[in-house]
Amino acid sequence: MSERSGVQPDPGFALLGLYDAALPQVYGYLLSRCGQRALAEDLTADTFLAAVAVVTAWRRSQSMPPELSTAWLIGVARHKLVDHWRRAAREERGLRLVAGEASEPDDPWDDRLDVLMARDVLAVLGPHHRAVLTLRYLDGLPVAQVADCLGRTTHATEALLTRAKAAFRRSYTQRSAGRPSTGREGRR
Amino acid sequence: MTDPLDALREPVVLITPDPRFAAALRARLERAVIRGDEMSATQTTAGHVGYASVWLPDIERAETFYRAVLGWSFAPGSIEHGRQIEDVRPRMGMAGGVEHSSLFLAHAVPDVRAAVRRIHAAGGQADEPVQQPYGLISDCVDDQGLRFSVYEGAADVPAQSRPGELVYITVEVPDTARFRAFYGAVFGWTFTPGRINDGWGVNEARPMMGVHRAGDRPTILPMYQVTDIQDAVGRVRRAGGTAVDPAQRPYGLESLCSDDQGSRFYLGQF
Repeated sequence: MSERSGVQPDPGFALLGLYDAALPQVYGYLLSRCGQRALAEDLTADTFLAAVAVVTAWRRSQSMPPELSTAWLIGVARHKLVDHWRRAAREERGLRLVAGEASEPDDPWDDRLDVLMARDVLAVLGPHHRAVLTLRYLDGLPVAQVADCLGRTTHATEALLTRAKAAFRRSYTQRSAGRPSTGREGRR
Repeated sequence: MTDPLDALREPVVLITPDPRFAAALRARLERAVIRGDEMSATQTTAGHVGYASVWLPDIERAETFYRAVLGWSFAPGSIEHGRQIEDVRPRMGMAGGVEHSSLFLAHAVPDVRAAVRRIHAAGGQADEPVQQPYGLISDCVDDQGLRFSVYEGAADVPAQSRPGELVYITVEVPDTARFRAFYGAVFGWTFTPGRINDGWGVNEARPMMGVHRAGDRPTILPMYQVTDIQDAVGRVRRAGGTAVDPAQRPYGLESLCSDDQGSRFYLGQF
């Protein structure tokens, strides 16, 4: 190693040192948002492997090592989750073209949410809607940062958010009225 | 204005994953940090063939035939009717006692347990992985009854094949759509329509691989590299096999052959 390693640990080994503490947080973040154990494991592995790739690239470029932290790893995990939903959306694209989008209600909605039911509803929304609502509300990111994660403009993200909230509200209202809901909710 | 969806806010909670998963991932990270060459579980493709075994009825006859035609030499295998073929890449073996001749493939994957989950999800069968000297391996059957295995590790597939080595793999299946769906889900493979009807090239496979619709049960045919296909065809015929006259293809000269037990294979000169 270079003489620098006498001052700072190699970032790859520093990442391994962070592993035990960061793993339950990264896995917890992903499992609570995707809801499937096997998928959460795959995405957790992707997150850490991507982190290794990033720190290795840093090491090769001889630039400053990254600020290694759990928060940074959660950010990497968020991108992996978005990538997953993007792939899922691609696979469902044909279906969604057929299904179309219903018109949006424009009256304000100020019910108090039943959070458990809301999480169930979220799980049956399409991948695009689920992604934007998760980043905006579960993660609590400002719209500009959501747009950045999704690779969309702020304007397009706001429009997507509006459609996602409308879709969420339709499903939620149907559920809370006790009516059997239609369409994709039946697939659960 | 308040937004009812703000109630969904979910701070990061700590969840301890399966300790086996945690230990396996740590081992992969250590390898990745040291070697810097690890692949992603879902984003990078997998499934390179690191080992292939010629399955046919009679191992002794096959030894004589393939030694004469391809110049192979053999070492004892791990089972009585098995042989290892020496000094070829990817590594190969041969096994007797199988009525329906085919080429058995072992695919390298970065994570066997993840691959097993994907195989189950895609409608295939996969045994609990077992540790072998060369790595963790699971024996599997795809959703059309084709046996294969997945093992954790790399595949040693040279960029340039030498004579007698496996250079191309042809898969015949009753239903190519099912094949593409299954192996697409398991290895992330993608496919390009080929020059024959319902024939597809596998974009990510090593050695190169193609699949087409034929027959009523899946069969895999190897293609072996030769330096002079006319000579090689002569050796096939003298050894009791059959060979169609070599034909010029866009990629080289090719001949479809059968050994003296009726097991089909291709020869290719590039």
